[in-house]
Amino acid sequence: MSRLYYYARRMVVSILLIFAIATFLFFSFRLMPGDYATLLLQQGASAEQVEAVREAWGLDEPLYIQYFTWMGNMMTGNAGMSRQFSKPVVDVVAPALRNSMILALPGVLAAFVIGSLYGALLGSNPGSTLEKYGIIPPNIVGTTPDFFIGILLIAIFSMSLNLFPSGSIASIEVVTNNPGWEIYLTESFWYHYTLPFLTVVIKYMYYPTLVMRGSVVEVRNQEFAVYQRLLGLGKWTRFRHIMKHASLPVITVLPAVTATSISGLVLIEIVFNWPGIGQLLLTSVFARDTPVIQFMFLLIAIWIVVGNFLVDIFYTIIDPRITIEGE
Amino acid sequence: MLLNSVSKITDHYLLRNLRSSLRLYLSDRLTVAFLLGFLFVLFLALFGPYIAPYQPDKIFFVEGGGVLELQPPSLAHPLGTTSRGQDVFSRLLYGARPTLFTGLLGGALVVTIGVLIGVTAGYFGGRVDDILMRVTDFAFGIPLIPTAIVLAAYFGVGTWTTILIIGCLLWRNNARVFRSQVLQIREREHVRAAQMLGASDRYIITRHILPNLGGMIVLFFSLGTGLTIIISASLAFIGFADLGIPSWGLMLRNAYNSGYIASAWWWSLTSGFAISLTVLCIFMLGRGYERVHETNVSEFGG
Repeated sequence: MSRLYYYARRMVVSILLIFAIATFLFFSFRLMPGDYATLLLQQGASAEQVEAVREAWGLDEPLYIQYFTWMGNMMTGNAGMSRQFSKPVVDVVAPALRNSMILALPGVLAAFVIGSLYGALLGSNPGSTLEKYGIIPPNIVGTTPDFFIGILLIAIFSMSLNLFPSGSIASIEVVTNNPGWEIYLTESFWYHYTLPFLTVVIKYMYYPTLVMRGSVVEVRNQEFAVYQRLLGLGKWTRFRHIMKHASLPVITVLPAVTATSISGLVLIEIVFNWPGIGQLLLTSVFARDTPVIQFMFLLIAIWIVVGNFLVDIFYTIIDPRITIEGE
Repeated sequence: MLLNSVSKITDHYLLRNLRSSLRLYLSDRLTVAFLLGFLFVLFLALFGPYIAPYQPDKIFFVEGGGVLELQPPSLAHPLGTTSRGQDVFSRLLYGARPTLFTGLLGGALVVTIGVLIGVTAGYFGGRVDDILMRVTDFAFGIPLIPTAIVLAAYFGVGTWTTILIIGCLLWRNNARVFRSQVLQIREREHVRAAQMLGASDRYIITRHILPNLGGMIVLFFSLGTGLTIIISASLAFIGFADLGIPSWGLMLRNAYNSGYIASAWWWSLTSGFAISLTVLCIFMLGRGYERVHETNVSEFGG
């Protein structure tokens, strides 16, 4: 089985998986109790009005026709209209996704860099007081709900010390004056960005710390490392060589963590009132805005599936020992 | 006669295994500390409502008639009062039960589904394995928290729905690990021998496969329990919980929404740290047990 064949097969499987998830999304939202028409009815609309809405949206057509229409629309990038904002779904989801990404991606990356360095520090001093007690904070952080980390930071840095604002993406006038991406260039944005960013870094830091510590302890005892120690090489030279080997397990999980992080920040976004997809999801759920929810889930699923696909390819490149036949 | 049968029972191999692994387990001082912590929370979950000085919903008033709100800790109220004039200490004691039991039931459900799928896929292999693993791949494409929110919103909130939702979302990681373990165990000589002697699949799975998964099952039960506590607290925090049950997640929500996170620290921080430390004890107990069984899992979480 050649490598190229393997890539092609993985790609076909990934595309099929996305189709399967899209199909699943379509039917599961149709089967869920309490659709938008029922909500209208509860809000006091008459039966005729609801019927008119159902007809206008094509909800009275057979399910399979609705399904093919929906699939066709999705593939041409038409995700329909948001019911709560009366705007195209794409225009509603895009800015929210952008806001989530600018929080998640740099946050996770920083967490992995800082966490690995801290973990390496712990691992290179086995048996020391630092190693024994230094491992406790990351463990506690790993078992703390992320929204509580956010609450702690707000209580300390916002409410007690008055250093940073407690929520929202920027001050009100900045938000109204900058509808597009220019908002990321304003000073007010970075001022509001600090605390949520710190929360993300703390939330994702414990994992690389723990993995790196174990990995460094293991690599330190390998023959090449012992040999270099006996040669009398400098501390930093040895550290660099050890890091090269020890960072492999951390690097291999980074893409997967990045893939899930976008959707994993819901609670942090809510605590900091950050207008990302977590916030949007919550308002859409309360408004039963199915087109928006479906589209967001589809995007998240595509993001994860494509991420996994790239990870698999990445593995075969950085570690050629991975046997392709085993797949 | 009686003595003989007693010694027969105490010498049963399962009890012997249990005793020796318990001794090994408790040889680590840190594990003992976490075990004591967990037992303390369990004690609160069982007897908290009997120790609590007041009812969790009881509202206290000052003599003039206003609500006794946001009182700092005092002798009458060891952990102060909430913005509604309720006793925080009593609410904390009452909150242990729903929090811990949701976690334990959720963890049990997660492991049960994971073992069923993982063992079936790993032991029978072939087409069954293919289908089950594709289903698992599919499950990995489902974002955890967003799906939990949507399901909770559409199917209504309540303790049992929360447990069911979390159980149906968290099994995917367990299933993969259990499958790969079974793939290894299946090739061992004693399993091969049993197969050759014509033992039924049921016999092999219950006598040879499951006992060898023991350490792993305990580890994933503890991880599942901890994660269920965190996720159910998250759902409670955004309001998807039975608002009549004073769980720790709901306490955090009330404290956050009141806006007094910093000034009323006795209210906002105690419940959060209670969750954090409980989950820490449970995770670490699982780790300790895993160490005793010398199995290795480098990754936890969903």
